[in-house]
Amino acid sequence: MILSLVFFTFSFIFYILATTAYAGYWVFRKKWIGQIATALAFIALGSTTMVLISRAGEAGHGPFSNLWESMVLFVWATNAGYLMMEYRYKFKAIGTVVMSIMTLAMLAASLLPYRYKDVTPLNPALQSKWKWMTSLLSKWDLQNYAIGWLDFHVVTTFIGYAAFAISFGLAILYLLKNRYEARQQQVKLLDAFPDSKVLDEMSYRAVAWGFPFLAVGIVSGAIWANYAWGGYWSWDPKETWSLITWFIYAAYLHARVTRGWRGKRAAYLSILGFAAVIFLYWGVSFILPGLHAYA
Amino acid sequence: MAEKAKEAAEGMDARWYRAIGSGIWSFLNSLKLTIFILISLAVTSIFGTAIEQNAPIEQYIADYGETWGKLILYANLNDMYYSWWFRGLILFLAVNIIVCTLERFPPKWKSLLNHKQERFEPRLIEKFAHHESLSLSASPEAVRDRLLQVLRKKRFGTVTSGGGGEFFIYAWKGRIGRLGSDMTHISLLLILLGALLGSIYGYRSTVFMNVGNTIDLKNENFMLRLDKFWIDYYDTGHIRQYNSLLTIVEDGKEVLQKQIWVNEPLHYKGIKFYQANYGLSWNKLEEAQIVFRRKVDDGTEISFAAKWNTLVDVPNSKYSVKLIAYTADFAYDEENNLVYSKSENPENPAIKIEVYEGDRLISSPWLFLNYPGIFPAIPDSDVDLVYTGHRGTWFSGLQYSRDPGTNVVWVGSAVMGIGFIMAFFIYHRRVWIHIKGGGQSTEIKIGGTVNKNTFAFERDLKEITGSVSSNERP
Repeated sequence: MILSLVFFTFSFIFYILATTAYAGYWVFRKKWIGQIATALAFIALGSTTMVLISRAGEAGHGPFSNLWESMVLFVWATNAGYLMMEYRYKFKAIGTVVMSIMTLAMLAASLLPYRYKDVTPLNPALQSKWKWMTSLLSKWDLQNYAIGWLDFHVVTTFIGYAAFAISFGLAILYLLKNRYEARQQQVKLLDAFPDSKVLDEMSYRAVAWGFPFLAVGIVSGAIWANYAWGGYWSWDPKETWSLITWFIYAAYLHARVTRGWRGKRAAYLSILGFAAVIFLYWGVSFILPGLHAYA
Repeated sequence: MAEKAKEAAEGMDARWYRAIGSGIWSFLNSLKLTIFILISLAVTSIFGTAIEQNAPIEQYIADYGETWGKLILYANLNDMYYSWWFRGLILFLAVNIIVCTLERFPPKWKSLLNHKQERFEPRLIEKFAHHESLSLSASPEAVRDRLLQVLRKKRFGTVTSGGGGEFFIYAWKGRIGRLGSDMTHISLLLILLGALLGSIYGYRSTVFMNVGNTIDLKNENFMLRLDKFWIDYYDTGHIRQYNSLLTIVEDGKEVLQKQIWVNEPLHYKGIKFYQANYGLSWNKLEEAQIVFRRKVDDGTEISFAAKWNTLVDVPNSKYSVKLIAYTADFAYDEENNLVYSKSENPENPAIKIEVYEGDRLISSPWLFLNYPGIFPAIPDSDVDLVYTGHRGTWFSGLQYSRDPGTNVVWVGSAVMGIGFIMAFFIYHRRVWIHIKGGGQSTEIKIGGTVNKNTFAFERDLKEITGSVSSNERP
């Protein structure tokens, strides 16, 4: 029961260290600081993975059933996504912004009251294991490891959230960079970041991952609701806000191919979209009552 | 003269008509309209989550005041997602999608089919955002073969032409990615169509059943019976699952029996039955605890359980009792002479029993848990029956629905998935290469375009040029 919380504390420390190291790389631009930063990010990822695994062991089901668990999943997905991006594009200074977002998320998770962190058994609506998988795994007596709509729905949705968080960080950097590029001003600290054009492209690539994953999250939620709630769509606040978020990112994607809307306005839409994600995730859970009340 | 004027007027009319038509068309064809509609849908949807939907009308006046409450009702914000204007907005989006597709798809399709350019103006290569020029010592033929080999290895389609030391290569990959956006748009139309079908031909309904009840379903030609309802618990006492055992009865025959729970509905003839709710029944009991009291003699009291709809003997007496009715929150409608339950909560539990002496029904009183002995159970006798407690039965709340649009929605979702993969992860790359030998060296111009992910494309180009230039250095 305590093990996952221990791993959590451990991870939290490494997110703070990784953020500091990335900031150090950004300011001093020494290669070795960058390597340390990446190494710390990997340790943090491994540790976050251990939080999830140990929690799954403690709870006896996928660690996706309360706010704390989902926050850890969000941080895990953001970190994994960021490291993939770093591997592909090799721009490490961006890590300062993205790691800060993760550290803030860890801080928020750590401040949650204990009842949001506790191990809870799955309520009736959340018991959604796939029957075909249960029966397949039961051949080897592994049926307890079968997953279901809960796991699929939450993981896909949170990969979407993570991609949007990354896109949000990049959109902010784009706006900063674009501002000084437009004035033809040299700002030494901003030189560490790629050109605004590249930032725009990267921000778009992040949305290009997040948008389909959110869609899969919404559709899998609809399929599940069709089993559990009596219909694939009930205009539950969470459902509606996921659609609102989806609309905003759909607008973003169309803005990028429209003259006069690409660049700055698209970046604003990405920021607006992430604001919607935060409300969809935290706002709806705390403010608006509905069928998604458990997380 | 007059005829000419008329013709001219008609011509004017036609032109005027056409001008308006093409004005509307280009308005509907605009991407800015798409962005506007999407953001409008996002913003208006917020109202529906902020204002409670489908509450009683008085509640809006009470919560928001006269003016705002009326405004909410006037704008249909109390049932927003089904209001004419919200649906109109969605229809607007559908029309926008259709017009954009009609306008963009045919030329795109044509250009994708007839895209091969065997000959092109070499200077154009330098106009591409991504282009490079190389000068190599290898022969033009060798360079051409090497480039073709690399391009094919990278799974590009290629056409070449030329001869005599001058060659043209055109290569392409991922054409199908261009159709991803159209697939996605069509999938949205399918999903909307499915939702429309559901709203026209579908329905949702809720029914509360006690164990043993059989209900006749409106609109359907079969009946549903609840055989059993029970709750599973974890060791910790948390509820694990609610279960109902249901039987479908058709033409007097039992055709299907199934245990349902949350996440496991029963399907029958296009209808799904869901475990939606449960609770203690407000109009039925398993049994009631009754105390039999002799008013005279020794005043002995004997407690016994009266069973639902079953006659039981009262111990040590000549009476027998049957429990025939229960209301959790007793109320009496004088006008219609009806007993009913004000709520489902046991605020004022009352039972009705039938008391028999031998075979003869002698009394059928209401007894009240909160008011023991207020009315005598058997008038003009020296005994009394007092209602002291009960064991309730569960009711099962079942939701049932028919939605013939669901499968269309799933097909739409699947098409959307394919569309996304095509749109976001398959890039349409096109490469033009001009090779020209001249004396000692071979000049190469290479350039191309990609519809997205320029980053990956630049790497592609680098690898292609690298493959020929790396041969240069031994």
